[in-house]
Amino acid sequence: MVPPFSPILLGGFLLSALPSRLLQPLLRAIMGAVARRHPAMLERLGPYADTVFLIDPIDLPIRFLLRVDAQQPKLTIARGADAARAGAVVRGSLLALIDLLEGRVDGDALFFSRRLAIEGDTEAVVALRNAVDGEEIDIIDDILVHAGPLARPARSAVKRLIRLARRAGHDMALLQAALLQPVIERIESQTAETERLRQAMAGAAQFRGRRGAAPAATLLAGSE
Amino acid sequence: MSLAQEGKGDLELICPAGTPAALRAAVDAGAEAVYLGFRDETNARNFPGLNFSPAELETGLAYAHGRGCKVFVAINTFPRAGAPEAWRRAVDCAAELGVDAVILADIGLLDYAARHHPGLRLHLSVQASASNAEAIRFYHEAFGVKRVVLPRVLTVEDIAELNARIPVETEVFAFGGMCPMAEGRCLLSSYVTGKSPNITGVCSPASHVRYLERGTEMVSRLGEFTINVFQRSDAAGYPTLCKGRFVVGDRASYLFEAPTSLNVLPLLPELMAAGVSALKIEGRQRGRAYTAQVVAAFRAAVDACRRGEAMPEMSALDAITEGQSETSGAYRRAWR
Amino acid sequence: MTGKPAPTLALGPMLFHWEAARWRDFYFRIADEAPIDTVYLGEVVCAKRRPFILPYLPEVCARLERAGKNVVFSTLALIMTEQEMDGIREAIADPIIEAPIFEANDIATAALLAGRPHVIGPFVNAYNEDTIAYLAARGAFRISLPAELSITALQALGRTEAVRTVGFEVQVFGRLPLAISARCYHARAHDLHKDGCQFVCAKDPDGLTIETLDNEPFLAINGTQTLSDSYCSLLGELQTLRDAGIVSFRLWPHSCDMVQVAALFDAALGDVLAPEAAAARLRGVVGDVPLANGYLQGREGHLWLDATAAAGTASAAAMRAAK
Repeated sequence: MVPPFSPILLGGFLLSALPSRLLQPLLRAIMGAVARRHPAMLERLGPYADTVFLIDPIDLPIRFLLRVDAQQPKLTIARGADAARAGAVVRGSLLALIDLLEGRVDGDALFFSRRLAIEGDTEAVVALRNAVDGEEIDIIDDILVHAGPLARPARSAVKRLIRLARRAGHDMALLQAALLQPVIERIESQTAETERLRQAMAGAAQFRGRRGAAPAATLLAGSE
Repeated sequence: MSLAQEGKGDLELICPAGTPAALRAAVDAGAEAVYLGFRDETNARNFPGLNFSPAELETGLAYAHGRGCKVFVAINTFPRAGAPEAWRRAVDCAAELGVDAVILADIGLLDYAARHHPGLRLHLSVQASASNAEAIRFYHEAFGVKRVVLPRVLTVEDIAELNARIPVETEVFAFGGMCPMAEGRCLLSSYVTGKSPNITGVCSPASHVRYLERGTEMVSRLGEFTINVFQRSDAAGYPTLCKGRFVVGDRASYLFEAPTSLNVLPLLPELMAAGVSALKIEGRQRGRAYTAQVVAAFRAAVDACRRGEAMPEMSALDAITEGQSETSGAYRRAWR
Repeated sequence: MTGKPAPTLALGPMLFHWEAARWRDFYFRIADEAPIDTVYLGEVVCAKRRPFILPYLPEVCARLERAGKNVVFSTLALIMTEQEMDGIREAIADPIIEAPIFEANDIATAALLAGRPHVIGPFVNAYNEDTIAYLAARGAFRISLPAELSITALQALGRTEAVRTVGFEVQVFGRLPLAISARCYHARAHDLHKDGCQFVCAKDPDGLTIETLDNEPFLAINGTQTLSDSYCSLLGELQTLRDAGIVSFRLWPHSCDMVQVAALFDAALGDVLAPEAAAARLRGVVGDVPLANGYLQGREGHLWLDATAAAGTASAAAMRAAK
């Protein structure tokens, strides 16, 4: 999967400078909030308590490992070797993953349009998707639930940021398309030219093969 | 005569609820009824992470009934030989909680429900594969079935003819996944995975699905078989095995059915004229965003149809359809 | 073992569209040579094929009856129009022999046959004792069970009251019917529409194999029907099935030598031939086709598993039941 050209992709490079010992407590707090606010979701995921999910936002330089054990749900940063431990992988742009988490888009629709990829234990991924979809999750609320008096201003700031990112992502995709357009056109015309040559060669071969039968008719048929 | 009967030609909108959140989304978007199942093998969408506990059903019923929406409970797999208890309990539980109807497929279970819960409204599941007037009359006379969900094998003309001959309401599939096979009579899934709609309540279950990257291709596999291969730019599909690409002779094609969604929006006036009582939207396994979007679109269309107005534009549904394409399926004879 | 009826072999209805004279000759040979007790006759898959065999039906039926076979008239699996229904009504109202027995493959036909002895075919869903008891009370004396039932399910049925009133039949040989549709896949494979199908299904006397994109044989199509590519063979499990209370064993007709197939199953049922020896000989008769028996062990239907494992499953289940 190729990451979309978006502000997340650019911003993500900043994240990679952040040491994981700063991120990890934040992830722990998020998971704690999710467990408290959405116990029914974890209950639905009971049969998959032991499954390790690798969540891979393709436009971020980091990946996450998720365990949905109702007693000890865990969200950690995946290091190189950790990824191999994952029984199931969910891959997509960060915004697509957040949309999915919050039930704003249908997972099947994302998948049908190829903006979401899954690997490994498909059943576990489907269960995760279904259980998440069955909760009305607002991930920003979940994250900021402990921010106290700052929660509301922080919440609206983050939401505005996501909205901006979404819009900028759209603009940047347009920009990317505009930049690539001449290149694409050139490749397309080259492909068409190659195909013309290939057909001409095939026609010639056919003509040689049938020499003596009805060359004029064969040539005519070939040119139609 | 058929249209004079109560409920015929009404086009009541029946919407899927895989989770309590989807139930609320469907009710809020204008469903006249939602259908759902218990979280076990008694229903034909026994998918991981889906469906309702009895407590969730109770809460969902209160939410729906408070807003004038009915709730139907699908108990539409075939009880296991020697162990009918789970299915009977599901019927008892649905009856005790006061659901508006149960949707059943098995003759033994219909018999049980009719004898033990005479007041419970019975609908015949599509899994019973009742595709003709004689079969439908049997279920009506034997068990008092009030409505039949028609198998996706009939044309609109067939349905009109059928409605004139039967004393019960008909419900037809309106949108979503398409079985090209007669439902309830298909063993393809168990042949490949050991799990079937009739016994386990699943078709092409996710537990047996694998997606593999192979160079620039993505391969979708079910059990030990390749169901499809996609190029990076292709719209992908879930490997439901009858929607795969297979080879006959030297040619690869979607022999059974392409990964496409059924959509009857353009046929609504015809279905209404054919005396259809209810439209069923498929997709208990889809997200609540899907539910909200499809239900809202159909709500607007059915209301327009009831008023005799032109259908509104419905391009909003394109993105959520499987393979991002649509068909009117068996309702048109050309499909055969 | 006292009181248990002797096991018998049944030849299921011809699922494929054979040329009519070949169809007739096939049954003549079955009548004259095959150790088969019951022969199911009639079109199950596609109503359009029925007119071809109708002219030959009386002589085939007479030959089979003269040979001492029980003839059962099979009917359509998926009835979608009133014309199709009328065809069945006529066959029942105006039979070609006296007191005929019919096999219902759609619940509509079972409803028509209520109150008189009849057979429930494998295309009607009879998965459990409650349904079976209901059907038996309306006149079903034999029920051909769904192919996907495991030995555990069959044994459970065998322990219920139902087994006293009906005889259970299980499919033990041939490609397994897996699905039926309104759509004709044979026509589709030949870029034709069902209404102008030119009867292309007649080209494939055992169905047309379809492969996966990796060119692995997968399923077989037969008009509107889809079958397994592999041939079911439960030669090794016959004893286990008998112990479970199965009394009739259905062979699906194929273009291989069905007289020999029947002879092998008959020998294995009669303990004249060890299952292993019979299986080896069957391999010689059917040629290079994949065999399958997975359903019986509750597994994927396409699998070919060691038959003794089924017996193991059976005895484990019996032990659990005994506890």
